[in-house]
Amino acid sequence: MPREAEPSLNERAFVVQALQEGLRVDGRAFDQFRKLELKFGDQYGVADVTLGKTRILAKVSAEVTTPYSDRPFDGIFTITTELSPMASPAFEVNRPTETEILLSRLLEKTVRRSNALDTESLCLIAGQKCWSIRVDLHVLSHDGNLIDGSCFAVVAALRHFRKPDTSMEGGNLTVYTPAEREPVPLSWLHSPFCVTFSFYGEGEMALLDACLLEEQLRVSSCTISLNKHGEICQIAKLGGTPVDAAALLQCASVALNKVKEFSTLLDRRLAEDSKKRDKGGLLAELSAENER
Amino acid sequence: MAAEQTERIFVLPGDRIDHSLIPSHPKRALRLGPGLRHIPPNELVPTVAGQLVTDHKKNSIWVEYNGGRYTPTVGDLVIGTVHHSAVDYFYVMLSGYTSNAILPQLAFEMASKKTRPNLNPGSLVYARVCLANRHMDPELECVSPTTGKADGLGPLNGGMLFDISPGMARRLLMRKSVEEGKVVVLEELGSAGLAFETAVGRNGKIWVNSENVKTVLAVGRAVKETDENNLGVEQQKKLVRRLVKEVS
Repeated sequence: MPREAEPSLNERAFVVQALQEGLRVDGRAFDQFRKLELKFGDQYGVADVTLGKTRILAKVSAEVTTPYSDRPFDGIFTITTELSPMASPAFEVNRPTETEILLSRLLEKTVRRSNALDTESLCLIAGQKCWSIRVDLHVLSHDGNLIDGSCFAVVAALRHFRKPDTSMEGGNLTVYTPAEREPVPLSWLHSPFCVTFSFYGEGEMALLDACLLEEQLRVSSCTISLNKHGEICQIAKLGGTPVDAAALLQCASVALNKVKEFSTLLDRRLAEDSKKRDKGGLLAELSAENER
Repeated sequence: MAAEQTERIFVLPGDRIDHSLIPSHPKRALRLGPGLRHIPPNELVPTVAGQLVTDHKKNSIWVEYNGGRYTPTVGDLVIGTVHHSAVDYFYVMLSGYTSNAILPQLAFEMASKKTRPNLNPGSLVYARVCLANRHMDPELECVSPTTGKADGLGPLNGGMLFDISPGMARRLLMRKSVEEGKVVVLEELGSAGLAFETAVGRNGKIWVNSENVKTVLAVGRAVKETDENNLGVEQQKKLVRRLVKEVS
């Protein structure tokens, strides 16, 4: 099984020494992210996120299926992650690495279990028909901090996505094509984002947005998922060196600031995108959506 | 690059190379470098996109391109990471996900059965490729076989390793890297009063060492930014001025 190339002893010693002097290898501050870029595709529900050299693509699709028998009033919502050998030769097809399993579990906890998407709104006919929303996440290039980038891509793609409009008339379900009726956005409740901290030394140095080299050398890491209102969805600190409770509280407040920045960026990009699509201001008239 | 060749010639895969561009020498046979394929009897076809470079003195012609992974060639200076050691050999990683090169434990300066160096897994070593065949693991040496001197090769202690593109490594290793390679960052940083030492590996690595951590980072960033953003000479000088200001 291929493994990620290990950094040499010289690199290990140097990175830690530089961190002790308050310097990062790429010259960033400890709590500074790399340049986060978000682009939407021509279709609805395609988000392309670049975080430095890390690049992640999320694509949302919807289809009509039968709901699970034990949950007749809920739609189906799944997130599938795929780390292909394109991202790094250490990833193999059909053999999930630890990174991949952790990534999909964290996304599941952050986005699905925090009820960011209202699955009840996906129900069409109770027990018979519902929407199945599927997010496919592809990592195109891996240079560390996959979790934060992936979560951002998933949330951005879901917020950008429009599903076909439907109507019910006397037990008849009609799904309209985009030409007939403008597609409608998902019923979205809140936008959670992940912020990952990497710890060095005895756990006293915390870095945000570690690159691949820094990720390989960290002694422990902690992922905090929260939305811009400061509501924490999950905290994952899976083993590693113990970290002081006060330091973790400090991390949580840093994370809140970062999440607010993410939210503003996402809102701005969504507004820009809808402005670009709204040629001649027709979208408001075409929309069949009611004001809540 | 010959002196009389003023205009750069770029080729695409499958292009026809004009016969006037191919150097001819009365005695030496024509040597083909990377990126060219000989189709008998007398056709040369480029297999990659890049700059066509000729050397009339050595009667050689090749295509200079930046990309692809490193393939070991005899005589290349490389920086490897020791992966593990066996009875007689160190297994050295030249680039990730390729088979390891072997470095005999006695291929060091003044090495004998009793005084051979002890390299732990993960140590860096600066070596020369002395055997490179297509279907065999490459072999390295840290000593000149004729003089028995190290000539600067051997284990690298301290410092930091930065990844650069193979093209940048070739430019840095040119005999006149300033005039021909158009890389002035290292010279500029040195003349700005920074004290550091470097070693460039043709496998796309540069090792930088200095007393000062900030200097190491400045040198590494200068080279990487020059490489990634393809900076010209003037831009490189500007970059160095900015970095020097940050260091002091």
